[in-house]
Amino acid sequence: MEVTILVQATDKAFEILEKARNDARELLYSSAKLTSETRSLEERRKARDFLSGAQRSRLTLRNFAITSVLLFAFWIILSARFDAFHLTLGIICSLLVAYLSHDLLFSNIRLGDARVRARRFFAAAPWFLGQIFSANLHVAYLALSPKMPVDPQIIRFKTKLESDISWVALANSITLTPGTITVDIREGEFFVHALDRKVAYDLSTGEMEDRIAHVLMEADHIYIQDVLDVARIFGALK
Amino acid sequence: MTRVTDDIIIRTVARVLIPFIQLYALYVIMHGHHSPGGGFQGGVIFGASFILYLLTHGLEEAKARMSEMKAGLFSSFGLLIYSGIGLLCLIMGSNYLDYGRLSTILRVIPAQARSLGILGVEIGVGIAVMAVMFSIFFDIATGGEPPGGEESFGDRDG
Repeated sequence: MEVTILVQATDKAFEILEKARNDARELLYSSAKLTSETRSLEERRKARDFLSGAQRSRLTLRNFAITSVLLFAFWIILSARFDAFHLTLGIICSLLVAYLSHDLLFSNIRLGDARVRARRFFAAAPWFLGQIFSANLHVAYLALSPKMPVDPQIIRFKTKLESDISWVALANSITLTPGTITVDIREGEFFVHALDRKVAYDLSTGEMEDRIAHVLMEADHIYIQDVLDVARIFGALK
Repeated sequence: MTRVTDDIIIRTVARVLIPFIQLYALYVIMHGHHSPGGGFQGGVIFGASFILYLLTHGLEEAKARMSEMKAGLFSSFGLLIYSGIGLLCLIMGSNYLDYGRLSTILRVIPAQARSLGILGVEIGVGIAVMAVMFSIFFDIATGGEPPGGEESFGDRDG
């Protein structure tokens, strides 16, 4: 008797949870439409389905145009010949490469404003440079002091960043900062080798992560896990 | 070897770098008659960009971008450009690959015709080398399966 009640209660609970999950998904769809920001892989795939054919082809065209302009600038730097013949060759080559690989450079769907990202990048650059400078001094102190008080350790933390390019930006910023090296990324979990307790502590405050999230416009994003958690709490309360 | 790498850093950096590698390859080909480089070197760099793509994104995606069939066609096409320019010189009544004679078709002075002729040959060599580099690597990665053979050979560990 008690077992049946328990089973029924569990079924009911699962039902509520399932409903809450569906509600959360709908909520997420509408929020995804509103924010149009970077999403996790699964959400990104769904976001792509939101776009109509015309929007998608416009996005492809935009990627193609930006890629070819960037490549042509790269060509000018390499070639440094400004006669018509070489410039024409450069335009042809940039268009050819953009045709071959325009989907590679900007494979993420990003509807956020590139100018905002550029401005935020230049605003954040001094902080990163200062961080690298002070870390340099710290590592020099560690190496030069007679006792050499190193305390090597591997720390792991789960990142809240979601796109692959942000992960790589964070991993490379960590590696660029002396004293810390990103060893591996496994499903959003970073494994970082730190030279001593201080640099490990500096990293664990998560300031670098926050700044990268800000530059790459991930901060304004609604996280799927948060929505699911809220929905679960609501479901349980009901 | 033929599977998608699970290292997100390598995959993303490769994704961002490949267009620039390809443009650098074209730069090396196009400036081969002014500066070090040329068709072979540029072709190898271009082929390397496809090989990098295959290593980081797996065999299936690389096949969608550059199939073995296409590689075969491109290698023949590059050879056709090379030998075509050479034979054109022969038909015009000069030696094989003696570009000076092409000045009558191109309507420029012979020295400039030589420059343009060698550029055309470099492009042909570049295309052929790129395609051959890729198809050699493709053969190694697939264990020499014929194109369009077994469905499942992508699953095999290379």
